[in-house]
Amino acid sequence: MRRGSDSVDSGRWILSSVKTVFLELNVSQSVISVDRVTKRFSGHTAVKQLSLEVPQGSVFGLLGPNGAGKTTTIRMIMDIIRPDEGRVTLFGGAGTGRELSTRIGFLPEERGLYPKMQVLGQLAFLGEIKGLTRSDALRRGREWLERLGLGEWAEKKVEDLSKGMQQKVQFIGALMHDPDLAILDEPFSGLDPVNTMAMKDVVVDFARRGKTVMFSTHIMEQAERMCDHIVIMAKGEKVVDGRLADIKAEYGKSHLALEFSSNREQAAPILQDRSLFLSVDDYGGSAEGEMAHGVDGDTVLRALVNAGVGLSRFEVVEPSLQKIFIAEVGGDAAITAAREPGDA
Amino acid sequence: MHKLWAVIRREFVARVRTRTFVVATVLGPLLMAGLMLAPALLSMKQASGRHIVIVDGGDRGLGRTAPTTLRSKFPERYTLEVVVFPTGETERLDSLISRIDAPSEATGAPIDGVVVLDPEMLAEDRIAYYGSNVSSMKDMSDLRRGLRDAIVAERLSELGVNLSLVQEASRPFTLTTERVTDGKLTGESGEASFALAYAMAFLLYIALLLYGVQVMSAVVEEKTNHINEVLVSSLTPFQLMFGKILGVGSAGLVQLGLWVGTAMVLTTFRAEIASLFGVTEAAVMAVPIPTVSPALMAVFLVFFLLGFFLYSSAYAAVGAMCSTMQETQQASMPVTLTVVVGFLMVFNVLGDPAGSMARIFSLIPLFAPLIVPVRYSLNPLSIGELLASGISTLIGVVIVAWFAGRIYRVGILTHGKRPKIKELANWVKAG
Repeated sequence: MRRGSDSVDSGRWILSSVKTVFLELNVSQSVISVDRVTKRFSGHTAVKQLSLEVPQGSVFGLLGPNGAGKTTTIRMIMDIIRPDEGRVTLFGGAGTGRELSTRIGFLPEERGLYPKMQVLGQLAFLGEIKGLTRSDALRRGREWLERLGLGEWAEKKVEDLSKGMQQKVQFIGALMHDPDLAILDEPFSGLDPVNTMAMKDVVVDFARRGKTVMFSTHIMEQAERMCDHIVIMAKGEKVVDGRLADIKAEYGKSHLALEFSSNREQAAPILQDRSLFLSVDDYGGSAEGEMAHGVDGDTVLRALVNAGVGLSRFEVVEPSLQKIFIAEVGGDAAITAAREPGDA
Repeated sequence: MHKLWAVIRREFVARVRTRTFVVATVLGPLLMAGLMLAPALLSMKQASGRHIVIVDGGDRGLGRTAPTTLRSKFPERYTLEVVVFPTGETERLDSLISRIDAPSEATGAPIDGVVVLDPEMLAEDRIAYYGSNVSSMKDMSDLRRGLRDAIVAERLSELGVNLSLVQEASRPFTLTTERVTDGKLTGESGEASFALAYAMAFLLYIALLLYGVQVMSAVVEEKTNHINEVLVSSLTPFQLMFGKILGVGSAGLVQLGLWVGTAMVLTTFRAEIASLFGVTEAAVMAVPIPTVSPALMAVFLVFFLLGFFLYSSAYAAVGAMCSTMQETQQASMPVTLTVVVGFLMVFNVLGDPAGSMARIFSLIPLFAPLIVPVRYSLNPLSIGELLASGISTLIGVVIVAWFAGRIYRVGILTHGKRPKIKELANWVKAG
């Protein structure tokens, strides 16, 4: 009897300890853990009961229209402002954003450098306040400038640089101390396509080395291409959360991507037919639509062919992130954006 | 510590590299040299004298006594000419006035002025003077004193007093002053220690405002350049604010050091420098230059630093409240006015350096940094009083810095409208 109960107990013990280990693993896998966080600014709630987990090694997208509370969330993660309610945990509770600043690279929404300072001196300073020694910071600064094609500008004053170049310098400042986590607020806004590609390469390379990236954006194509996890916020609340692949799967293969080659106008009545489509994003030369329940691709294809519409593409797809975003955030986005232009 | 050092270094280099710093550091000594040479040059120029005509329109013999009394006081300054005619002859008076400051071939050299002793005016205790130099305070006071002696003598003799007795009784005497510190003769005249007190008050006043405003503009600059968020994500507001204050402060100390250093070189070699400008050694040596004791230097330095910390943290808080430099002009008024009040208080203290007013103000942290060094230069304070002032000022610094830090912390990330008093209180209270 005794031996029996012992074995049951030890069995329980093993189970519970496995559970504990599993839980601990789970916690340590989250680099950023935001737990039911709320932040109010004079009379309006910028972030409402927000929870999110950024897994170790992920590229995490924080999406939402202007004024959704993205920047406020990021500021709370960085301990620049304190939440009114809830808790932010970084690296499993090792300290606040500022205390861990040597492990975190941060590119704030408000971009700024000292205009009168030399580029390299500026980088040395930014490196030093992230815990690098001055000589190390100077060496790394020089390497990064070379890598991003700004080598010749090292001795120039910041104010002599173009806006795109300044943003590159800021990028370097955020990542030069080789942090484990990069938090980038709208990293690609205001960049031309060439610079966007250059910065994207830097971020992708950073993530490839097993580091974690969290970035906010309202440009869905970017998030779609780069992120493996996303959270969509609207009016301070989370509306979508999860792995990008899971989210898309959840929306199912009920979407049609169309590209027209001729007789475009003949397609209009079919696209507007609510018995076939729940909603359609019409781009003129192409369209993306969500099919109504019970409707399959064949039915739509038959209707289009019968109407004499020429097609260069007909594909049943997962919805684009843009489509999910619009479906979830809807028309409210525009209202919120108008009320809070500063993206608080 | 490493981070704080990085902030201090950045601020220091940014300050020292500006054109204004270089210009001010170079211009300071030039200004000092000017201040040293100008009085000597002026006194040499004044020796050229004045040509004054005295018109005696009466019959009381003032035309004879006035030149005597004027000349006895200022033998080199006045070339006097007495013309006797009734003042009713306005044409002759006009022709004299037309010669003032206007040389002509007919009348010869110009004259500087005309004193008119008119019996009717004298009856009303008035004397008229027409001259090109009426705005010169020194000339007018010389003239007034010289003429007063003549008038007094005239009145006394009218009352039956013998004129030679009057002259004997009013023989002038000189009061020589020499400062005694700690029971020892310092070899310093009262004039010299007064000059030192003035110089120190000015230096403190200018330095507190100058470097305080520099801290404020550095803070606003960081706000307008939107750099704060990057900084605050890795530095505490405390590190940021004190790094800034220490950076500006050390640049300020370098500047003050250069100024004081050149002042010492200039005064040591003033005779040689003066001769380069054609100023005689005697004229330069006549300008009082005080000696500065190491103890005074120490007191000056300690109280300057305390004052600098107090006012620059207040200025940093003001900078954090504002979003543009224009806004700071209005918002910094209360701080600037406090410095001005302290400076004005210095003049009160100069009159009575050991008085109760001076003692009280030495204990008020806002004013002590200006008052104590000035008092010390005139009349060294006891160790007890120095300690009391120092400690109360230090407490004041801590309190002001604490409040400033709380405001700074919130302010640097806030843009838009300047906070009202109530909002400021919330900033201070916020956790």
